[in-house]
Amino acid sequence: MSASPLVAYPTDTLKVNSRPTASPLKRPISAAPSSDGTPRPPVQAQPTRPHATMDLAEQMNDDEKRKWVKGKKLGEGTYANVFAAHLRTDPSQKAAIKKIKVQKEYRDGMAPDALREIKHLQELNHPNVVRLISVFSSKDQNLNLVLEYLPLGDLEDLIRNVNTYRYGAADIKAWMGMLCRGVWFCHENFVLHRDIKPNNILIAANGEAKLADFGLARSFSDPAIPMTTNVITRWYRPPELLFGARHYSGAVDVWSVGLVFAELIIRSPFLPGDSEINQIDCICRAIGTPTEENWPGVTKLPGYAVAGETVPVYGKDAYMGRFGAVGADGVDLLMKTLVLDPRKRITAREMLEHKWWRSEPKPTRNEDLPRKTKGGLEKMAADLKRVNPMEEDNRGAKVARKLDFGAMKK
Amino acid sequence: MASEDARYRQSTQYRLWSFSPAQLSSMREKTNALAQSNISERLLSTRALPEFLTPAEELQLLNFYTIDLLRAGNFFNLRTDMRATAAVFLRRFYLTNSIMTYPPTDMLKTCLFFGCKAEGHYPSVGKFAEQFPNTTGEDVLAGEFLLCQGLRFAFDVKHPFRALEGAIMELRRYGNIEDSRISSAHSRAREILKFSPLVTDAYFHYTPSQIMLAALSLADQELAERVVHETFHHPALSDGAAAAPTRENRKGAAAAGERARLVGAEMRDRVLEVVNACREVLAKEPPERMTAYWGTPDSNQITRPLLRKLKKCHDPDRWNLVELQRARREQAALKEDAEDDEGNGARGSLDGDGAVFGDADGRDVKRRKVAKAPEDPFGGPL
Repeated sequence: MSASPLVAYPTDTLKVNSRPTASPLKRPISAAPSSDGTPRPPVQAQPTRPHATMDLAEQMNDDEKRKWVKGKKLGEGTYANVFAAHLRTDPSQKAAIKKIKVQKEYRDGMAPDALREIKHLQELNHPNVVRLISVFSSKDQNLNLVLEYLPLGDLEDLIRNVNTYRYGAADIKAWMGMLCRGVWFCHENFVLHRDIKPNNILIAANGEAKLADFGLARSFSDPAIPMTTNVITRWYRPPELLFGARHYSGAVDVWSVGLVFAELIIRSPFLPGDSEINQIDCICRAIGTPTEENWPGVTKLPGYAVAGETVPVYGKDAYMGRFGAVGADGVDLLMKTLVLDPRKRITAREMLEHKWWRSEPKPTRNEDLPRKTKGGLEKMAADLKRVNPMEEDNRGAKVARKLDFGAMKK
Repeated sequence: MASEDARYRQSTQYRLWSFSPAQLSSMREKTNALAQSNISERLLSTRALPEFLTPAEELQLLNFYTIDLLRAGNFFNLRTDMRATAAVFLRRFYLTNSIMTYPPTDMLKTCLFFGCKAEGHYPSVGKFAEQFPNTTGEDVLAGEFLLCQGLRFAFDVKHPFRALEGAIMELRRYGNIEDSRISSAHSRAREILKFSPLVTDAYFHYTPSQIMLAALSLADQELAERVVHETFHHPALSDGAAAAPTRENRKGAAAAGERARLVGAEMRDRVLEVVNACREVLAKEPPERMTAYWGTPDSNQITRPLLRKLKKCHDPDRWNLVELQRARREQAALKEDAEDDEGNGARGSLDGDGAVFGDADGRDVKRRKVAKAPEDPFGGPL
């Protein structure tokens, strides 16, 4: 009996009480009959475990936990394991359960990544932000995050696999629209994401792009309170952070959005610096050197340092040559996201009001966007049933990489 | 509906942690009854049952410990938002957990520590614990997971402090109120917000802006009412609503009608009513009561007997959080692999060894190997 993880539920570690007490809160969960008539495994056919001697808090947690049936392990990372899951009452409702591991190297209790992700995702509910459906703790004291199931990979897959996926200006416009709406919603709710990049933008079964990975997010700070500068993956980090600004705004996310935009067009990272110094160099060479003229006060930032000759900020012509695929209006938006001075950079709201969205071509509808697999959910189900361990391993590795916050930050 | 209201209703503070007074007291009764029956079962074999705390006594102790927490927060110079978040955490935790089950003196340290983290400040637990007498990092962390579960993993608390700054800016904008009057109302209201809503049930029943207006109204009733009246004063509105409802603008007229209802006098009076109700709640615990909870003969008379009672009736097994945590970790270490494996479809074949020896991964590999050979050397099924 003790072998089956689902049968014996310890109501208390110090004293297991076998006498079931009728609980006022016990909710019988009806087991859905299986569709093909096959008898279900016994553990599933036994949905009600007595709440025995549980506190109200434990009962609430248990009710939440029992809504879900955990399925196959999809990936393993240093930070978390990911499982497929579905609703007990409606197996067609799929989800992913991210089981966060206790981080051994972080000795101060719950790790900041997990805390931030839970804190912010609990509050944000928007079609372009990954949805946190539920959180519960398992009996081994691990956190389980029930997240929206996003089976079609991420934007990075689509950008990198140049030979597999072809996409055009209308597709870029659709993806950028979704990204901008997600970022706008975060800022509207006073949350900075602080790690926007192509592999944090996941694709749902219906083609909708969603902002994910809130492990570095934080609420807007009060004016007097400094923030850390060591956020956002280097290639997408704005100049004010590279110069060590401790008081910054939503403009840091907008810069990252601009670089995702550029990357979607040229299908390779626009500013791939190999160190922080080199990153500043890349910015100076590709966009222009930050100076007191184009950015009053920049030289007083703690980490201000630019090497070599001052490069004047590039004008529209220079951008048209490289990014002309999205048209003049698209280039205009791109340039406004990549303004050096964060105070003059376009805001998320202004991005949504930009004329590019309404100029030709119209953005592609979600169902017509290039995607990892055609056929959406049916194909995904088939994918999951297919027993090809190599494929499974690859898929797992991708998810794991995405979840590995520790590796990403350094 | 005003979109700000709709947005507030998306928050965990509203979805998970807002209740009517009746709901709140029924939850407290349930928590108390469950604790009594749990502890009775544990004690029954060993000794005669003690007298248990009543829900009202638990609440009294909770207030006492909330103030203890605020004092500690002041003493450590924690930021206002961290102190407030910690206090709200403590009160939320003891809504679904009884004071008789888990020790409030320890949990309040955990709440302070986790409150700092939730507000984006990550102190080292060792240094944090040093500030308290006879406390180690382990003591502080032992209750952390328990706390998170008790909070239902809602770590975002919306406070009325920034709302007050906003209202003060509004008042200044009106232009015909003496600045010194606004300033003194500002500082008094702030003082109230740092204490009164945190040691009452205000956060469970009212929105941050309602709490802010109630505190402002305690500081200077006229100013608070001015804010409400100005907000609901829309001279241009009647013109728009008067337009004839033609086919084209019927939708617009309906919207205007809805808007008129929202910003009309009736809604304004309801808001004033709610603010007044909240004001009464806050008035019971003005900031001056901070010192009334400890050391005075009055307070001793109330709390001492309760503390004595608590000493006799607390949960014998779960009172020591460090021990409890250690036992749970050990058990978890045994179960973890089995837990991870539960979804892998091997339920039927799961024998004891997997869970005990933790070789779930080994089995996983084996299963993959089996699955990997689609071309069975002995041919497919007949």
